[in-house]
Amino acid sequence: MVDSVRAEPRSIPAGGEPARTASRWRPRRKHNSYWAAPLLMISINLVLFLLFFLWPAVIGLKYSFTSYTGVGPAPWVGTDNYQRLLHDPAFWAALKRTLIYTACVVPLIFVASLGTAYLMVSPYSRGKTVARVIFFLPWLISPIIAGVIWRWIFGENFGLVNFIITELGGKAVDWQTDANLSLIIVIIAATWMNTAFNMLLFIAALKNVPTAYYEAADLDGANAWQKFRRITLPAIAPTSFIVVLLSTLGSMKEYGLVVAVNAGGPGTDNNLIVQYIYTTGFRRNQIGYASAASFVLMLILVIIAVVQLLANRRKGS
Amino acid sequence: MTNFAMLRRGGLRWAAAGVVTALALSACSSTSGGSSGDAKSITFWYSTSAQDQGYTDLAKDFEAKEGIKVEIVNVPYDGYQDKLKQAAQANSLPDTASVPSLDTLWVNQLQDLSATANNATNNINKDLLTTQDSKVLAIPSDVTAAGLFINKTLFDKAKVTYPTDPSKTWTWDEFLAAADKVRTATKAKYDLVYDRSAARIRPWIYNHGGKGFQLGADGKYAPADATTVQALADFAKLNNDVIMPKSVWGAGADPNALFKSGQVVAYFSGVWQVADFADGITNFDWASAPTPAQPVHATDINLGGKVVAFNNGSKAAAAKKWVDFIFQRDNYTKLAQTNGYLPIEKGLTLTYPFKKQAALDSFALYVKEMELADPISASGQATGTKLLLAGKSVDDGLIKDEMAKLVNGKQDAQKTADNIVAGLNQQIG
Amino acid sequence: MAVATKPPVPRRRKTARTGDLPRKIGTSSIMWLLAAVYGFPGLWFVLSSFKPAGDLFTYPLTLFPKKWTVSGYTQAWSQFDVARYFVNTLIVAVAATVLTIVASAAAGYALAKYRNWWLKVFAACILATTMLPGETLLPSLFVVVRNIGLYNSLSGVVVPAVITATGTFMFRQFFVTVPNDLLEAARIDGSGEMRTFLRIMLPLARPIILTLAIVSFQWRWNDYLWPLIILNDPRQFTLQIGVASIVGAQNVNWSVLLGASVLSMIPLVAIYLVFQKYVMSADINAGLKD
Repeated sequence: MVDSVRAEPRSIPAGGEPARTASRWRPRRKHNSYWAAPLLMISINLVLFLLFFLWPAVIGLKYSFTSYTGVGPAPWVGTDNYQRLLHDPAFWAALKRTLIYTACVVPLIFVASLGTAYLMVSPYSRGKTVARVIFFLPWLISPIIAGVIWRWIFGENFGLVNFIITELGGKAVDWQTDANLSLIIVIIAATWMNTAFNMLLFIAALKNVPTAYYEAADLDGANAWQKFRRITLPAIAPTSFIVVLLSTLGSMKEYGLVVAVNAGGPGTDNNLIVQYIYTTGFRRNQIGYASAASFVLMLILVIIAVVQLLANRRKGS
Repeated sequence: MTNFAMLRRGGLRWAAAGVVTALALSACSSTSGGSSGDAKSITFWYSTSAQDQGYTDLAKDFEAKEGIKVEIVNVPYDGYQDKLKQAAQANSLPDTASVPSLDTLWVNQLQDLSATANNATNNINKDLLTTQDSKVLAIPSDVTAAGLFINKTLFDKAKVTYPTDPSKTWTWDEFLAAADKVRTATKAKYDLVYDRSAARIRPWIYNHGGKGFQLGADGKYAPADATTVQALADFAKLNNDVIMPKSVWGAGADPNALFKSGQVVAYFSGVWQVADFADGITNFDWASAPTPAQPVHATDINLGGKVVAFNNGSKAAAAKKWVDFIFQRDNYTKLAQTNGYLPIEKGLTLTYPFKKQAALDSFALYVKEMELADPISASGQATGTKLLLAGKSVDDGLIKDEMAKLVNGKQDAQKTADNIVAGLNQQIG
Repeated sequence: MAVATKPPVPRRRKTARTGDLPRKIGTSSIMWLLAAVYGFPGLWFVLSSFKPAGDLFTYPLTLFPKKWTVSGYTQAWSQFDVARYFVNTLIVAVAATVLTIVASAAAGYALAKYRNWWLKVFAACILATTMLPGETLLPSLFVVVRNIGLYNSLSGVVVPAVITATGTFMFRQFFVTVPNDLLEAARIDGSGEMRTFLRIMLPLARPIILTLAIVSFQWRWNDYLWPLIILNDPRQFTLQIGVASIVGAQNVNWSVLLGASVLSMIPLVAIYLVFQKYVMSADINAGLKD
């Protein structure tokens, strides 16, 4: 409270300079004119960032150079943990599996959420309010419960899908003991759960595509697909980018759902990277090693994000 | 916080809401301490998914007698170990607890319970204590044993008989032949489901004459003997989606649920299922059957919760008093009866409160079974305790993972046994 | 994320012409087919929760219970203190949501409307928070929360969860689309920066506020591991902890678990149903009409 009282009067002279601001808002020249107000505005997030991200991250970084077990001393081991990581086949296997998972789930989420959003704004569909609620419900369900649901549906021996297949005279499918099929279940569940949030983003974007564009296209005799490709997709590109970026980062960090659906099984075949770090590192009291793995993962995520940002910028120009 | 400034400026509704929230939060945190300093109340953490009244009843008696309130906290099993680890870091361990296993992270903060454990009137089975340098660190709340359940309805329907007396048990071959007969006669789906756990595979190995995974004289795990490897190979062969569904050992499907479907002839699990079956199985009759011997008559004897008292300053004495109270003969009798425990104290006569005859018979059978069991049956938990006291911990998830590879045909039995031994040795350093 | 693009944008064709009956049927049936696919798993789950324990795994499977029962629900209700856990969860979710909105809106606005080099650095910092998964940060975050004295209190569950890159950037993207003329006009009128933000800009962002509200509420409602580790006092436990306590080491009482799961979902679904018509359906440009 004291902070804000002190900060505010400063923002008033800064804001009360009509001579400089009246004619036109010129962001580049006005570089440092306002600093108290924005500082005040970011203050909560800034404090939280310092306390709950930077501080723990620094602690974690420090651990990553030690053989800390959770209590007691943390002997310095230099880059041992990182070197060990390079030669840990299980780590790389988990990373590879995570990349495969992400490469499958992101396009699916993209198509599903854009498709449902398209239906939600289409003037032709009837009963949108109810349908929207139905599309939304999976997103409200916790990963633990979602895991239970999908394990039941695709249970190998007494699951619903295999029951239907065998009733129809087919042969039961190895939904759980086949590593790839088991991963597909996780992918289906993730798509099912994550559609709603991204659908929201797409609905807002689609609603704001100017009608005039479509009308002009109608005059040119464009068909629905052409209109979608040439008008809709470019117009919603910024939203598409955000959806892809957030889904990619989210899938790379997937933990709760995999654990709930198949616990990384069969065996360790579908251990995703965060699960690997958590179970082999923290659960077995190898905090130092797990911290090192976390920072390698962070580096990978930063690279992915930067590549996507650059790709997006190039496409935009 | 900036929202105070907002209030002054504009009085936005949700800035006000923010203030209310902040106040509510500070109110919460101020009442959250809960520790009144001197030992008027102590905490007891444990984990159960059943509605067992046992500890709650005892806590009431304890408060009436000693004037100390015991606050019982049921911590979910998934996350209990993590929570204890973090609590140890925060110096916020409970005063007493019943834990699934001790952790090297906090084992040095335990109190010595030898007075309770060595009390002659309690007559506690001393083989099952966790003892270090004559200090008793943990007393098990109960003993558990692995064992076989059968779907009695299916057996009766197929008119196939089964032994009821552990001293006249059958071999695995006889059992599997019987189960096969029942399955074909009743058109059930599988002969058997078998719990996927390191502790449950041990009896299979022991029964077949193998020694399993044991520590050698050098404190390292010794390579598995040929009989063990053969037993693993034979076990994997059962996972053929006819005798056993592959999904349990291959991918962690829930065998308990599979057995409850009524489509599986038998289930190899353990005594803890009895209470669940007594309520949860309504569509067929079930019974406990003796563990097969081939030729060794063994099971896996393990410990239920391990009761510990932490060294929490002014509460330490009260904590010890509560643990002592739990194991006093009369109190323990009540606890074991209410919670359905196989007793850790010798010579008790227990009457379990089950209404189902099958459940009562089952308990009687387990008691006999444990008397007859080969001494190797308790070696699994003994090894675990020994390692833990040496400051080493073993995560037996490894055995499940390697067995999954075997069952799914990714590696042969020899490789599986080698990987398990190597992995265990890596963990204990 | 272009929650809104340029302000004076007419909506896309609001109503279809009447001659489009085949298209209506086609589009609607695709939508309803998808809705059936999305809705079925949840429906099956809810219907199963009304089956007696003995029927859950009987073959052949049936969609509807042969005999309806609420015993799973009544048992779940007596297994843990549902009402108290519900209140705790509500406190956590509401507090975290309000704080998240305040923090994200202010920071998002600053990122959109001011140019300072340190704001760019700050934006990168906020993005960085999404790069370390919460699970791997957990042990060190725990050390911090313990050191600042929030261990074993609901605040320890709420406060670390307030910062969110998603929320901050949702607001940033929105405020970028609000014309700077509006800000200019306010400055000419002598309105201070904070006042402009609170009085003019924030009301404009109502759709974003509501969207983030439901998002944040859902996150906190379903949190499990962090509350379990931070809270020691069962009087402060949250619903997810109660639900998880039904899953035992050796067996799961499925019928109770189903009942408890559905119970734990009801408030969240109810809140969503109340708010859903505001979420993203409000006219994003409403504030700029005059």
